[in-house]
Amino acid sequence: MSASRSAGLGLALLAAGCLAGCSGTSSPEGTETASGQAAGGGTYTIWDPYPQYDKASDWVKLLDTCGTQAGVTVERTGYDTSDLTNKALLAAQQGNAPDVLIVDNPVVSTLAEAGVLTTTAENKLDTTAISPNLIAAGQSGGNTYGVPIGANTLALYYNKAVLDEAGVDIASVKDWASLTAALEKAKAAGKKGITFSAIGTEEGSFQFLPWFWGSGARLTQLDSPQGVSAVALWSDWLKKGLAPNSVINNTQTTSWQEFAGGDYAFAENGTWQLGNAKDAGFEYGIIPVPAKDGGTAAAPTGGEFVSIPVQQDTARYATSQKLVACLTSTDNSFATVTALSYIAPTEAVQTRQSTENPELAVWVEAVKAAKGRTGDDLGTKYPKISEPMWGAVQAALSGAKSPQQAMTDAQTAAASATQ
Amino acid sequence: MTRTAPAPTRRPAVAAGGPVRQGPGHRKAAWAAWGFLAPIVVYLLAFYAYPMYRNLELSLRHYTVRSFVQGDAPFTGFANYLDVLTDATFGPALWHTVVFTVVSLAFQFTLGLALALFFVRNFPLSATLRALFLVPWLLPLIVSSSTWAWMLNSDSGVVNAVLGVLGAGPVHWLTSPDWSLWSVIAANIWIGVPFNLVVLYSGLQAISPSVYEAAALDGATGWQRFRHVTFPLLRPVSAITLLLGLVYTLKVFDLIWIMTKGGPSGSSTTLSTWSYRLGFGNLVPSFGPGAAVGNILIATALAFGLLYIRLQRRQDLS
Amino acid sequence: MSTPRRWWKTLIGLALTGVMLFPVYWMINVSFTRDRDMRRSPPSWFPVDGTLDGYRAVLDQQLPYLGISLVVGLGTVVLTLVIAAPAAYSLAKLRPRGGGALSFALLIAQMVPGIIMAMGFYAMYLNLGVLNTLPGLIVADTTLAVPFAVLILTTFMSGIPQELLQAARVDGAGAVRTFRSIVLPVSRNAIITVSLFAFLWAWSDFIFASTLDSGGDHQPITLGIYHYIGNNNQQWNAIMATAVVASIPAAVLLVIAQRYVTAGVTAGAVKD
Repeated sequence: MSASRSAGLGLALLAAGCLAGCSGTSSPEGTETASGQAAGGGTYTIWDPYPQYDKASDWVKLLDTCGTQAGVTVERTGYDTSDLTNKALLAAQQGNAPDVLIVDNPVVSTLAEAGVLTTTAENKLDTTAISPNLIAAGQSGGNTYGVPIGANTLALYYNKAVLDEAGVDIASVKDWASLTAALEKAKAAGKKGITFSAIGTEEGSFQFLPWFWGSGARLTQLDSPQGVSAVALWSDWLKKGLAPNSVINNTQTTSWQEFAGGDYAFAENGTWQLGNAKDAGFEYGIIPVPAKDGGTAAAPTGGEFVSIPVQQDTARYATSQKLVACLTSTDNSFATVTALSYIAPTEAVQTRQSTENPELAVWVEAVKAAKGRTGDDLGTKYPKISEPMWGAVQAALSGAKSPQQAMTDAQTAAASATQ
Repeated sequence: MTRTAPAPTRRPAVAAGGPVRQGPGHRKAAWAAWGFLAPIVVYLLAFYAYPMYRNLELSLRHYTVRSFVQGDAPFTGFANYLDVLTDATFGPALWHTVVFTVVSLAFQFTLGLALALFFVRNFPLSATLRALFLVPWLLPLIVSSSTWAWMLNSDSGVVNAVLGVLGAGPVHWLTSPDWSLWSVIAANIWIGVPFNLVVLYSGLQAISPSVYEAAALDGATGWQRFRHVTFPLLRPVSAITLLLGLVYTLKVFDLIWIMTKGGPSGSSTTLSTWSYRLGFGNLVPSFGPGAAVGNILIATALAFGLLYIRLQRRQDLS
Repeated sequence: MSTPRRWWKTLIGLALTGVMLFPVYWMINVSFTRDRDMRRSPPSWFPVDGTLDGYRAVLDQQLPYLGISLVVGLGTVVLTLVIAAPAAYSLAKLRPRGGGALSFALLIAQMVPGIIMAMGFYAMYLNLGVLNTLPGLIVADTTLAVPFAVLILTTFMSGIPQELLQAARVDGAGAVRTFRSIVLPVSRNAIITVSLFAFLWAWSDFIFASTLDSGGDHQPITLGIYHYIGNNNQQWNAIMATAVVASIPAAVLLVIAQRYVTAGVTAGAVKD
């Protein structure tokens, strides 16, 4: 079968779809499912958390191409990431789950627990090439529930000009003490220290984890001396004016905007800011988040998983599997992660990314060292630990509680929620 | 109008407090009355009954994500309510709800009434300016709330910049447990003033000018006119405005959620933000307790609604 | 009243409006601001070194949505009035047995959290096959306004003098004709007020639009904001620019509508 012929067929299908859709006659849901029954044709729905990409974007074009290759029409909807979990649960409840669902990785274990997702044993997705630290977030109870589409993680961006002015050699920043010393020098030079996001949502936990893990603490024991020292590190920075008070309410975007203003020496932020960093108008560099006593702290993995929700008509899995395989195959993965600005989940594509774009090398290393939030066999327990944890960080930073008290209370809450 | 009025209308209409109709006409009048009500009754049943039932049902069962999807959650009676009432968050959240509601309502209504009185005498541009007061309502809450958060930001917010010029130190409006509740109240008052202004303004317009003319002939001063003429005549509209305001204020969650997420450390958590956090603000939703908190709020509104109807009835009788 | 006094009031009015709209000004300011200047401390009062990027993005991508928002807004107004006005007339003037309970139900109906309403509609629409359609969205949006509209219109219609209706009855008008030719015209102010809010709620609605119409071909402008909310990143100047662009045509409509709220409608009618 020649590739060009199948592409032509797909285009014809697309055009037909457009004729129906563009002429203004809306097709009722019913016809869609009816035609979906016919093997090898019909419409397959994909939900993703990338509402920022519209029809003209590379991402949606890639989805269309994969649909064409599988011989079906793809109907894609982008939802806000915070909405998507509820939307998926609701749709599953109503027996209307999408054929392919792309969700944030810590949600996978929850949806799996709800019985919404098929296992790789059922849907025949191949996960052998995926790095073990990345696939972990999609595994629970010995089953794997999806494939990471790409990954990102956190590191420290620094502003070269500010560090030069403060007389800080970035090579000297190796652990918490030397980082704090660098922040103090920046402040002494009339600049600002570091900005991050400690907002009262999962985003806050995401940003706190590199410091928490970097202290040697474990999520099963929030109030260990190490865990308390991580909270104390942040709250001391606030007290000394090395970090702004606004971090308590900062999203990662707000925090980035502060850094982009050009006064901050450091910012904790993610892979996705690389494009914005180039536009910031100053020279920047990236180092991994240091662990307490030196070395690199594990940062949490971000990024989404592609999964195949449970359908009444199990015959649909075969085509869904083709769609997912298309998006995650070694050939296409490079296009996918480039379209989404992620780091690839497989060694082979990661290497290609580093060679074609040396700037990504540091992020590839960071992703390799990163750790899934739901890993360590936490699974659905993670969200119940994460909520008290971000609460404790907020309480300590706002001065409502001491770091020790905050973490002790959080541990009590987490223990009772997970028992 | 439709003739398919529901069965209860067959009973003779002797509504307490209403104009009592006697004679052969009353039966026909009842038909007509329910004929006019038929669309709303159908509408309420079609669009509100299910969500309300759903909210009640969610609160009476033990839902996990799995049973939410499979629909086999066990019935647990009032266990969710008990959990919620004994939760450490409940007390502070209730208190914040009371403060948030009372302070917001008092300021919204007073400012709205003052502005309505100000605008009621026409002056050049008054209609245009009055319309511009509604512009905040054109913005999706996500935008207006974010703008407030922007202005109140501790480090780069315009409010602290002004305070700085005036020589006052920065206030951590959204990030200090002492201030966060007051900051979201301020934003909520801003949102609510236009509503009060517009409704009260139309209420003032409905008062016949001849009443004022009579008062003026009696030599009443401005304040006396307001105290003895305007305010009593405006009472029905004021009552419904306050009641609706109460319902809307109890319900506010998006504004607080966007500005502070109910934090820091729960200092701006109200019952409705708590309900949202339980049901939708976490990676793992706990629908049951979330719905229970929501229903406690509904019960609160119910109590105030009853109070309103009693007061109204007393007024009808007097 | 003398002319200088009136202009003095205009000045105060301008000042008050200025205070009220300051957050809106701030939003406009942000919509012109470059990313790197957004969190400058202290903030700049004017968008010096401003950027039109936000507007460029919006004008490229969003304009068609404005028309949809207009259709949804006006559709919501019409449907709200069709349902609410007869009901309010009945509750205010015909006062059937059980009317009190109905008003009560309306009051409570408004307390159902929006997200629960949206979930209910989602399940219902899915089964009816009207997800992602404009009529579906319009019906959902009216639930924001109908209880409010009935309660407000009832309050205002209760104020219509009984003699006015009696006179019509003497002339042989039935309930329907009284409603059409007396009650509706006399309630003009209240109807405009209710319409304004129905329009505003539909125009700024986000929760129903995102739950019921995010897969639709015809989306209102509030969903346009989603183009600038990524899973890790938000483009605030474009978000604010969307809101600004979205509010201009609607603000013009508001100004026009407010001119029709006039004094003494009831009084004038009594005299006739």
